[in-house]
Amino acid sequence: MSLLRPVWVAAASGAFFAAATVPAHAEGVRAGTIISNTATASYESGGAGRTVQSNTLEFRVDELLDVAVASQDGAPVASSGQATLTFSVTNTGNGPEAFVLTADPAVAGNPFNPTIVTLAVDSNGNGIYDEGDQILANGGLGPLLDPDASVTVFVIVDTENAPDGQTVQIALLAEAQTGTGTPGTVFAGQGEGGGDAVAGASGADDQAQGAIVTSVSAVALLKSAAVADPFGGSEPVPGAIVTFTIVAQVSGSGSVANLRVADEIPASTSYRAGSLQLNGAPLTDAADADAGQASASGIAVQLGTVAAGENPNVTFDVIID
Amino acid sequence: MKFVTRALLVCAAVGGVSAVSFAQGTQGVELAGTVMVERTQTVDGVAKTVLVEPTNVVPGEQLVFTTRYRNNTGQPVENFVITNPLPDAVQLARAGDFEVSVDGGSSFGSLSGATVSGADGVSRPAQLADVTHLRWVLPSIASGASGEVEYHAVVR
Repeated sequence: MSLLRPVWVAAASGAFFAAATVPAHAEGVRAGTIISNTATASYESGGAGRTVQSNTLEFRVDELLDVAVASQDGAPVASSGQATLTFSVTNTGNGPEAFVLTADPAVAGNPFNPTIVTLAVDSNGNGIYDEGDQILANGGLGPLLDPDASVTVFVIVDTENAPDGQTVQIALLAEAQTGTGTPGTVFAGQGEGGGDAVAGASGADDQAQGAIVTSVSAVALLKSAAVADPFGGSEPVPGAIVTFTIVAQVSGSGSVANLRVADEIPASTSYRAGSLQLNGAPLTDAADADAGQASASGIAVQLGTVAAGENPNVTFDVIID
Repeated sequence: MKFVTRALLVCAAVGGVSAVSFAQGTQGVELAGTVMVERTQTVDGVAKTVLVEPTNVVPGEQLVFTTRYRNNTGQPVENFVITNPLPDAVQLARAGDFEVSVDGGSSFGSLSGATVSGADGVSRPAQLADVTHLRWVLPSIASGASGEVEYHAVVR
């Protein structure tokens, strides 16, 4: 009699999923997963208990192409030449996917368009752009991301020659390697697990913007001299002490790094040992742990990073021969 | 409450001739499942919900699983119970004219009365996502009668 049964009655067994326990709450069923549904029925007929099973429905979950990009910078990043913007790129689809990453400096409203130096993927996962990171050309393909996985992407931007205090936006665009399109666009046969790929709500691409504020600083050194002669006057006679003062004026905004002030001892004078001072505090003449050093030939003081508006001063004495 | 048999078609299957017209020799109760995807199609600016074949199914989509039954036993059957384990990849979208199990099919009842043990070991009210099995109970089906049951699910 089974030969005469309609095909769809043929009892199927071996459902892929037994659903014996409460399933875990996944973000999304992985692409390629087979959904399988079978119903069974029990009944009594003519005093006897019987069971019957339905056909088993099986179909594949296709790959959803979705991505989310977000800026990780809480505030505009100050740039005095180059700046690093930080973004996260998250695969919000349900299959492994790589994304083409493109930084766009020409965002509407920008007072000027900075130069994109390069992109970098935070390969070592420390959240900081450093030597361990993989350099990626602008418009290059990022790493393959599992569903729900994200990667940190750095955009290195050059703002050289830009005026001080300008704010510019940089957009980072991520596009699914498989393709992009309006939600629902199907890429036949290109899905993970043998199925199709379908553009999700994001259209399989997303972008976010990060901001840079330029900060340009300039340094001016002002040098002055005061003479004290041995007789209580200010005549530059032999034996008189000349006190040189060098003021480093940093203007603009931001700061300058590694500022070093050096000067030579003028001819026909001799450095007065132990006279070197930074902001009124004595420095030893030896090249040691403190910021300064001095010798018969000249002085040098390492000021390090100096913020705009700070005006550190260095003084030293020479004796006229 | 809507009776479980949405389309209860009672066929006059008494007597030889008419019984031949469907499934002669199918002496049990037939069960046949179908699945469709609920999608929104916009036609002339009007959004409509349509049911389509399950192609390009992705997470978040609404599925309608239907199980049709037909009593070909030639006599009434009693205590007809359809049990449907939910596929792992879907979760129940809404309650319906069925009992649910949140413990792998060991016990059935209404969702509102069910509790499950949370990740922290504390009991909490069961949610749609906790449902593992569905069950429809029909006291009897007349000879030759047919109908269908359905549930709505969302791809996880």
